[in-house]
Amino acid sequence: MGGLQKKKYERGSATNYITRNKARKKLQLSLADFRRLCILKGIYPHEPKHKKKVNKGSTAPRTFYLLKDIRFLLHEPIVRKFREYKVFVRKLRKAYGKAEWTAVERLRDNKPGYKLDHIIKERYPTFIDALRDIDDALSMCFLFSTFARTGKCHVQTITLCRRLTVEWMNYVVTSRSLRKVFISIKGIYYQAEVLGQLITWLVPYQFAHDHPTDVDYRVMATFTEMYTTLFGFINFRLYQTLNLVYPPKLDSKAESELKAEHEEDYAMDSESYLEKLSALSASLARVVATAEEEEENQLDQFPADGEDLENMEAREKEQKEQEAQNRLFEGLKFFLNREVPRESLAFILRCFGAEVSWDKSLCIGGTYNVTDETITHQIVDRPDIDKQYINRYYIQPQWVFDSVNAKMRLPVEDYFLGVTLPPHLSPFVEEKDGDYVPPEKLKLMALQRGEKHVQEEEEDDDDDDDDEEYNDEVDDEDLTEEKNLKKMEDQRSQGKQTLAVKVTPGKVKPWETGSVGNKVRLEKEEKAEEKRLAIMMMKKKEKYLYDKIMFGKKRTTREANKLAAKRKAHEDTSKAEKKQKKAKKQ
Amino acid sequence: MAAVKRLKRVAALQPGFISFKSSAESDDLNSGRRKRVNKNKKKNWNKHSDIQDVEEFLDDVRLQERATGGLISEKPDDSLFFVDIGEQKKSVLPEVQERKKGKKSKSRPLRIDLILQHDSLVPPPKDVLAYQQPNAKKLRRIAENAEKLAAMGVLPRRQKRLLNRRPATKTSKAKTAANNFPDRPYYDLWGGEAKETADPYYLEQTGKRRVKRPEKLNAKPSILPAVEVIAPGGSYNPDFFSHQALLLEAHEVEVTRERAELRIERQLAVKREDTATEETVFQELVEGLVEEEEEEEDDVVSIRGGLQQEKKTEKERKRERADKIKSQQKQAARVFTDKKQQLFQLRSIQATLKRREQRTRERVAQRKANQEAEKSMPRRLGRLKFQAQDLEIQLSDEIPGSLRTLKPEGSVLKDRFKSMQKRNMIEPRERAKFKRRHKVKYVEKRAFREIT
Repeated sequence: MGGLQKKKYERGSATNYITRNKARKKLQLSLADFRRLCILKGIYPHEPKHKKKVNKGSTAPRTFYLLKDIRFLLHEPIVRKFREYKVFVRKLRKAYGKAEWTAVERLRDNKPGYKLDHIIKERYPTFIDALRDIDDALSMCFLFSTFARTGKCHVQTITLCRRLTVEWMNYVVTSRSLRKVFISIKGIYYQAEVLGQLITWLVPYQFAHDHPTDVDYRVMATFTEMYTTLFGFINFRLYQTLNLVYPPKLDSKAESELKAEHEEDYAMDSESYLEKLSALSASLARVVATAEEEEENQLDQFPADGEDLENMEAREKEQKEQEAQNRLFEGLKFFLNREVPRESLAFILRCFGAEVSWDKSLCIGGTYNVTDETITHQIVDRPDIDKQYINRYYIQPQWVFDSVNAKMRLPVEDYFLGVTLPPHLSPFVEEKDGDYVPPEKLKLMALQRGEKHVQEEEEDDDDDDDDEEYNDEVDDEDLTEEKNLKKMEDQRSQGKQTLAVKVTPGKVKPWETGSVGNKVRLEKEEKAEEKRLAIMMMKKKEKYLYDKIMFGKKRTTREANKLAAKRKAHEDTSKAEKKQKKAKKQ
Repeated sequence: MAAVKRLKRVAALQPGFISFKSSAESDDLNSGRRKRVNKNKKKNWNKHSDIQDVEEFLDDVRLQERATGGLISEKPDDSLFFVDIGEQKKSVLPEVQERKKGKKSKSRPLRIDLILQHDSLVPPPKDVLAYQQPNAKKLRRIAENAEKLAAMGVLPRRQKRLLNRRPATKTSKAKTAANNFPDRPYYDLWGGEAKETADPYYLEQTGKRRVKRPEKLNAKPSILPAVEVIAPGGSYNPDFFSHQALLLEAHEVEVTRERAELRIERQLAVKREDTATEETVFQELVEGLVEEEEEEEDDVVSIRGGLQQEKKTEKERKRERADKIKSQQKQAARVFTDKKQQLFQLRSIQATLKRREQRTRERVAQRKANQEAEKSMPRRLGRLKFQAQDLEIQLSDEIPGSLRTLKPEGSVLKDRFKSMQKRNMIEPRERAKFKRRHKVKYVEKRAFREIT
């Protein structure tokens, strides 16, 4: 047909992608440097849709990048710095080889370095963008700050990470923005709400590292390098929003209090300040010394119409709840025994306004002793303790975590020394209606609603009965719902068969008299009626969908019921066993 | 000249020849060709004229002066000669010796001092420069002048220039501190910035402003959250059922893994038919002895039959053509009638169309759903596939009673690393294997051999 033959792979997706090796050559960087550059700039490999086309007919697995991304990388000034660094290393090696020590020194003095500030600015144009992406940075910094200084990574990096995490914790404490805590077997998950963003991070347990071999430390270090820079800038900005001094300084009052005589025993001079900050027991200095009136500022009231009013009420209510939660431990005085994880507990307790102290030999920054009479709670994690004070509770650490998640001070009886603890539930799970809810959570929800649950159960049996009650409640609810559904189905089928609508004269029912309970009931009835009518008015198509949804719901409830029954059986057996044991003992 | 030289050499070789100035002559002979020098330049006069005799004479004069304090020829005779009148005053000598012996220990100078003593009678020449300063007058005047100016407060030009010079551009360049410097300062990165007024093209070309980052790059490669919270069964003190659920999940993973392993094993296994039995062994041994000739013959015949092909006649061709046309016509008629019939099948056609549309719609929805699901899946980014890490679980008997006795499970570092791989931020890789460049040679040690 005339014209030149079209060559393959000169258009389309083949030209949009570039292999990693080609990209590396284009940038004139070694593979390690290329990797580092990509991580710093946030350029990730891309899987093409048609690999064979992109790979010029070959099916060999390769790593591809988008060509435009690589072109964008060409403009990066850091690339030149990487090349300079390569030359620097070469020169240094040569000087070493020749034992030219003056040359070595001179080269060392002129070691090329680079800054990441502009990259951070470029990747996160606004502060909120950066804040949204801080989860990773937090987890990474907390992880690195727990590393031992054994040469797996730079000691400086570890110190910097420690500094940044301490700053962050101090910020969360001061802004009281912690929301959830979950102690898992992996580490401790925290969730905080900072400037409206939910931020989740994971803190490993201390001293729990066996360094895995299949992790690329260089890659991780590069990520950390980027994240520390980002994290520092975010911290600065956050401190600014709270009117705090950055880098953080202890309150002058607190500082004088913390002045211990044997300070040098704890840490070196250069480190003691960081240690004191990390103790979290003191408040931070503000730029302008302000009284505590700030917290009393109220949300502005706007005259609103209709729905907005409702929304606003809801919001107000939420805020009140929030404030109440923030003052969860206010006025309480805690003392941490030496066997409990000090840092996490101090962090959480301080976040909710408690006063915390610990043994002098445990860490710097303890403000009062065990012998202090005003201590209200002592957190202990051992079966029993020798000397007990009468005017304080001795509780296990889980009480703190569970209370935070429940947004209320839980009854301390379940958490006394030597008591088998109730399970620690994950606050990150949100059950939809119909899902199986563990009885412990149900109990908790009831507590939150303000229902007084039967107190002072001395025996397990009572407790179990209580559980059963709740279970029954759930069952009842489910049952009623199912009944309703069945009824509706019947009605529908009838309608199909007869297509006749009968109107029967209404009767005045005896409970329609006006007491409060009846009113509630009436409302419920009305709602059910409305719902039924709505279902009847549905189109065929919608009805189909509705039926499907209802079927799914029914299935979940059925499953939940099954689980609940299982649980009951399990508890029954365990109870029986216990009783047998008891009998044997007696 | 060459001839003369040769003659001389020949003469020197002759026995019985005594040269007038032997050493010089031989030297001359050895030094080769005599130089021919133009004497039309003063430099050459100095260089090449023979001044040996004058030098010798002058040396002699100097020697005489050194040794005797003047030219011998100018000295009076009695200083040069004395009248010999025989031995005299023998008695004096012992006296002198005695005295010398007595004083010897005290005042005799050291030999080294004697050696170093100036023994020449000629006084050393005066070093004129030691007493004189060249340009002394001028220098004095300059110094005086400078003093006067200094008193007035006027600095000399050189000093002024030094003072006026700009200080060297900050002795040490503003060094960029390492990124991991623990006390590094931070500032408000997102604070307000001054607007640039210069031409944007100029700024971009000179590298003063960065190229804008494409919006697409800010999209995350996966919709998974950065920190995935462990299932509720992973609590340190879990609820019974959630713990069971997690265990079940882990169990499922383990079962699939085992199944895959088993499958490979099964594939690798040797079939029972392939194992040698007595019969097969015997068969193999006998194999070569049996002859099978009949089969070969058959093969040959069949090949021949296939090769032969007869030529078609004209008649046959015609008939074939007619048949073809006929069948085509038949086909066309068939299609036509079918089309006609379709008019009566409109309903069913519509139904099929509807069905087809329905199917495409479903497929589109399915594809969309798949694409959505794929967004949270790890992509294939390199040679290796992503492999999720093992689920962290604690068995029922491992669950600790309290926080103190909790033994952490898994590694957070690995969790982070895998999370990044899962979110398509880095491609899965395996550790680079150590490759030996040269083969290792095993040598049996002699001593070892002797022992065994």
